[in-house]
Amino acid sequence: MPVNISNRVRDLRYEHGQMTQQALAEAVGVSRQTIIAIESGKYSPSLEVALKIARAFDRSVESIFELH
Amino acid sequence: MLGMLYIVAIINGRTNMSNLSFQEKSTWGTLVALLIIGTLYSNAAWQLWQRDVLVSEALFGLLIGYTVLLVIVLVAYHVLIVVVSGSEAEDERDRLIEWRAGYIGGIVLAFGVFTVIGHILIGGWLGDPLFLSPVGIANALLLAMLVASVAELALKLVYYRRGI
Repeated sequence: MPVNISNRVRDLRYEHGQMTQQALAEAVGVSRQTIIAIESGKYSPSLEVALKIARAFDRSVESIFELH
Repeated sequence: MLGMLYIVAIINGRTNMSNLSFQEKSTWGTLVALLIIGTLYSNAAWQLWQRDVLVSEALFGLLIGYTVLLVIVLVAYHVLIVVVSGSEAEDERDRLIEWRAGYIGGIVLAFGVFTVIGHILIGGWLGDPLFLSPVGIANALLLAMLVASVAELALKLVYYRRGI
C-alpha cells in the first residue's frame, strides 16, 4: 500500500561508502527485504526502526523521512 | 525429498528467491502445500461421499492421514529453504503483515462458519441430507477453514509484494 512518507535511505547508503542493504539491515535489526520495502516506499518503518536508521547514518529522523 | 529440492531449485532459479524473505518463501510453500493437499483431501472425501461411505471413521482416517501428510511436507519444505537460503528472524514488517492478513482471514473464517450454520438451519428446515449429517457439517467447516487459510496466505503474499 503506497504511503505518503518519502525517505532518503538509498541516497544515504551510497553517501556512507556504498553501504549495502544487508549491512544496514543488520545494523537496524530487520531483514534486507524490509530495507528494500522501506527504500521503495512500500513500507513505513516504526519509530524504533526509523530512529535506528537515523542512528546508523548519524542523522536526525526528519532529515531522512519526510511526510507529504 | 529430492523432488522437493528440485522444485525449490527451479523456483530459486526462475524467481530469484534471494529477493524473497524467509517468511515470504515460507508463505509461498505453505499456500501451495495447502492448496494441493486440500484438493487431494477434498477429492478423496467427495469420492467417498458419492459412494455413500464417508462415515465418521472414514472422515477421521482421511483427516489424520492428510494432516500428517501436510505436516511432513511443510517440515520438509522449511528444512529445504533453510538449507538452500538460510533462516531469518521475523521482523516488524513480517509481524504487521501477519497481523493484517490474519485479521482478514479471521473475518473470512467467521463468514464461512456462519454460512455453514445458516445452511444447517436451512438444511434442517428443508431436510437437506448434507447439512443434517455430522460428516457433511464437519467437511463444510473444514472447507471454511481451508478457504480462510488460503485467503490469509494469499493476502500475506499481496502485502509482501504490493507493500503495507
